[in-house]
Amino acid sequence: MRKYLLRRAVFGVSTLVGVSLIIFVVLRILPGDPLVAMFGLEGFAKLAPGDRARIMEDLGLSDPLPVQYARWMRDIASGSLGRSFFRGDKVSELILHRGPLSAEIALVSMLISWLVGLPVGIVSAFRPNSLPDNVARSASILFLAIPGFWLGMLIVLATLFWFNYKAPLVVVHLWQDPWANLQLVVGPAVVLGLGQGAYIARMSRSCLLEVILEDYVRTARAKGLKEAFVVLRHALPNALLPVVTLSGILMGFVLGGSVAVEQAFGVPGLGRALVVAVIERDTIVVQNLVLLYAVIFVVINVAVDLSYAWLDPRIRYR
Amino acid sequence: MDSRVGVQAVPALGPVADLPARSVARELGSFARRNPMAVAGGLVGLLIVVVAVAAPLVAPSDPLKTDFRRMARPPDARSVFGTDQVGRDTLSRVIHGSRMSLTVAFASVLLGTTVGALWGVASGYLGGRFDLVSQRITEVLQSFPDLILAMAISMAIGTGMPAVIVAIAITRIPFGNRVIRSVALTIRELAYVEAARAAGGSSFRIMTRHVLPQCMAPYLVLATTHLGVAIVIEAALGFLGVGIPPPTPTWGNMLAESLTSLVPHWWLVFFPGLAITVTVLAFNLFGDGIRDTLDPRLSPAFLRMMAGGRRA
Repeated sequence: MRKYLLRRAVFGVSTLVGVSLIIFVVLRILPGDPLVAMFGLEGFAKLAPGDRARIMEDLGLSDPLPVQYARWMRDIASGSLGRSFFRGDKVSELILHRGPLSAEIALVSMLISWLVGLPVGIVSAFRPNSLPDNVARSASILFLAIPGFWLGMLIVLATLFWFNYKAPLVVVHLWQDPWANLQLVVGPAVVLGLGQGAYIARMSRSCLLEVILEDYVRTARAKGLKEAFVVLRHALPNALLPVVTLSGILMGFVLGGSVAVEQAFGVPGLGRALVVAVIERDTIVVQNLVLLYAVIFVVINVAVDLSYAWLDPRIRYR
Repeated sequence: MDSRVGVQAVPALGPVADLPARSVARELGSFARRNPMAVAGGLVGLLIVVVAVAAPLVAPSDPLKTDFRRMARPPDARSVFGTDQVGRDTLSRVIHGSRMSLTVAFASVLLGTTVGALWGVASGYLGGRFDLVSQRITEVLQSFPDLILAMAISMAIGTGMPAVIVAIAITRIPFGNRVIRSVALTIRELAYVEAARAAGGSSFRIMTRHVLPQCMAPYLVLATTHLGVAIVIEAALGFLGVGIPPPTPTWGNMLAESLTSLVPHWWLVFFPGLAITVTVLAFNLFGDGIRDTLDPRLSPAFLRMMAGGRRA
């Protein structure tokens, strides 16, 4: 087990090195001049060539690419992650300031997806092709097609229109003001949670239906146990394994989806920071945030793999 | 979103020659009976494609023509979906927006899945070091959430239509690569491929003539299931301001423009999003039907396709 863990870790780190190289290469072949993005076309034209060179030098963009890459790695090792072109802030501070909000949204959305998806899936599987099953399946197909950011915009519009309500626009942490923090988190979490819930419902339904055909479930029924007991106590635990995996994979989707959903709700999370940085062409911020998303993605995948062994003791890692 | 979930590797099957021949019409008839939702999805999807192609004929007015006497009007008899902040007709913009969305979706899925599939065939058939390196590259590409990778790429190469197509296509490559590689791995071991090798066929010839045709069915399943994903990514890029820039209307940048007024007008939010949802729903339903039909364990039609695409 420990050996497996070590190998997964080495594998994960080498993948992330590849990821960082790709990010670096993609962002440095930028055709646009970062100075144009910073000062605008007019401002850029006013700059003397000497000033241009000096600013490029200050930003560290005139060094050879391997030197720039090495500097990025050094910044990562030191924990500061480099500084934003525009604001001069450390990227690490940006992440610490806005990250908790996005993490909260992701976790609450996962909770909602299980709370909604699992009961729906169980009800569906109890009586396949009944009316509740068909309603649930249609709803999940619909939710798979609705873009989260659009649903978010509609919710914002509706609450504004009917209740004249608007969520706060600044970062409020859970430990500062739990009530204001909840108002920021709940909208995106519900939208993302329903999107994942649709997958969870679908998956738990089909897994339950599969497990219910197994011999041991038939035995449980033959013993005269109540159907609800058979499904919940005997069938469900075994049906959950693929659902857990799916939930992990969905967390990866949430990372991407939350960027647009945060924008729709105007929540100042990490996703908003990434969008702003992309539009401002703030390369240093973008490269770190994209890498951060990739790190989380890889870590989630490893965690999902490990959860297998924990949930199903038959699985042994070598 | 439905990308990493669902499509499974399809085991290759031996030739199936004794299935009764049926006409194409009857084949379609039975498909329709088994998958009414898929047919509905396919028809709606077809309708949307037709509207997109015929956009200038269908749209009631010019999507770029501003009218300062009719700014931000709610839906009425003259403009059924209302008008935007500068008096452009929303219905016309939604109709013209379908052109961009569908072009980007079809082109990027075609490009990404094809490149991925060809790569997968080579990787699965050739094996060895090439396969090892390919798998590592795929691994790295799959370590990014789709939308974030697409954002970074379109930031790097610009915001025009070709850039958006390439950005989305790159996020589709790993899926094609993975699935088709696993198909190629099983086909490589089949007797007739061995026979072709024994007859002195070159690797290139065997891959193109013997392995590639067998990958058609999973390729089609992949491509159709990814259409919906591509539409959502395109819309999200437009919404975030890194897609196709205005004034060209796309569903995504229309949603982004609706946010420019302090209190967004509901019709400017509702209709472009509805267009996205209906289109994605149609493509998803159609894709599900295709997948069910081409799933090896369910359908004799698939056995025939695997037998070489002929209706034996």
